Amino acid sequence: MVAVLPNQHPEEERLLAYATGSLGEVKSLLVATHLALCPLCRASVEAYEAECGGWFDGLGGGAEDDRWSAMLAACDARLDTAVLPPPAPRSTLPMTGPLVPEPLRGRLGRPLFDFGWNEIAPAVWLSDWTVKDAQTTGCLLRMGPGAPVPPHHHSANEMLLVLTGAFHDEYGHYRVGDVADIPADTDHYAVAEHGGDCVCLFLLDGEIRFL
Amino acid sequence: MTSVADRTNEELVSAIAVDRDRTAFAALFRQYGPKIESYALRNGAGRAAAEELVQDVMLTVWLRADSFNPALASVGTWIFTIARNRRIDRIRKETRPEIDPNDPALLPVADLPPDRVLELSEDRRILSVAMNSLSPEQSEVLRLSYFEGKTQTEIAEERNIPLGTVKTRMRLALGHLKRTLQPRMV
Repeated sequence: MVAVLPNQHPEEERLLAYATGSLGEVKSLLVATHLALCPLCRASVEAYEAECGGWFDGLGGGAEDDRWSAMLAACDARLDTAVLPPPAPRSTLPMTGPLVPEPLRGRLGRPLFDFGWNEIAPAVWLSDWTVKDAQTTGCLLRMGPGAPVPPHHHSANEMLLVLTGAFHDEYGHYRVGDVADIPADTDHYAVAEHGGDCVCLFLLDGEIRFL
Repeated sequence: MTSVADRTNEELVSAIAVDRDRTAFAALFRQYGPKIESYALRNGAGRAAAEELVQDVMLTVWLRADSFNPALASVGTWIFTIARNRRIDRIRKETRPEIDPNDPALLPVADLPPDRVLELSEDRRILSVAMNSLSPEQSEVLRLSYFEGKTQTEIAEERNIPLGTVKTRMRLALGHLKRTLQPRMV
C-alpha cells in the first residue's frame, strides 16, 4: 500500500519551536502526533535540530579549571551506578476504532470514542478529556457527518489535528494527519465531511467566541 | 591507541559505547559540559540547576552512547537534543511529547514512494540553505528567541535595540523561511 501523506502542515515556526524546545507542552503534543504521520515534517524537524546543534556547538568556553575538574570527578563517580530515566508512558491498551499515533494515544489512555462528550451545537461535541499548560488548552472536537461548527471568532491561535474522518473550512480540506493552524483574530467555521464522524485534537490559546 | 586529542567526537562516542572508555568520556565532558551549562543559563536556569543539567545530560550520554548514529546527526546535534529534552522534562516534570519510532500507527519513510523519499533529503537541503541565507541579525533574533527562549522584550534589552526592530527582524526571518520552504509542501 502506498501511504498517503498529510497535505496540511503546522506553520514552519511551530516546527522550529518544537525542534528548539521552546514550544509549549500541549502544542508539542499536537506537533509530535502530526510528526508520527508526516515524514516530511520529521525531516524538517531533524534539519532544524541540526541548526540547533550548530548554535549549541558555538556555546561555552574552556573547562580546564578546578570547578570543571570537580564536576567531572563527581560525574565519573556516578557512571557505574547511573540508570536512565523511565521511558515515556506508552499505551498498552488494545486499540479499537481509529488508531491514534503516539504520543497522543498514551495521553488519551483509551479508544477515541470512549469519552464523555458535551454537545456545543447540534452534532458537535467537545470531549471531557482535556490537557492544559500555561498557554494552551486542548480537548477532542467531534463533528457528526455534515455537521457545521458554528462560525466563531478567535482572539488567539487555534490548532486542529484530524484523527479520524475529514472536515473542510474556508482554507481547505483536512484529512487524517492534517493540521489546521488558524491565526488569532480571524472568524472561522468548519464542516465535517459526509461519511462518518470527524474527531480532531483541538487546541486553543485563548477564549473562543461564537458569532 | 591514538591519544584522546587525536580522536574525533564521533570516535569518542563510539569508544564510550563499545569500550566503556572513561578517558573518552572525560574528553567529551570537558568539551560539552560548558556548552550544556551555557545553554541552561541562557534559557534562564540558575547556576545550581545548570550544573545539575550538565551531570544529567552527560550521564545520559554515557548510558545512551550506543544509540548515537553518526549518519543521522553530528555529536553536537545529538547532545543538544538530549540537553533540550532533559531540560524540558526537569521543568515540566513530564516527558516531552515525542514520536515512538516503533509505534504501529507511525508512517515510516519506507512506506513512501521513492520520489517522495528523494524529496526528503532535498527538503533538508533547502531548509539548511534557507537558514544560512538569513541575515546575521535575523539569524540572531531566531537563535535568541527559539534556542534561548527569550522574549522579544528581553532580546531588545539585551542587544540594546528598539523592540520594533526585534519584531521586524523576527517577522522577516520567519517570512523568509516560509517563502523558501512553502513550495515543497504541495
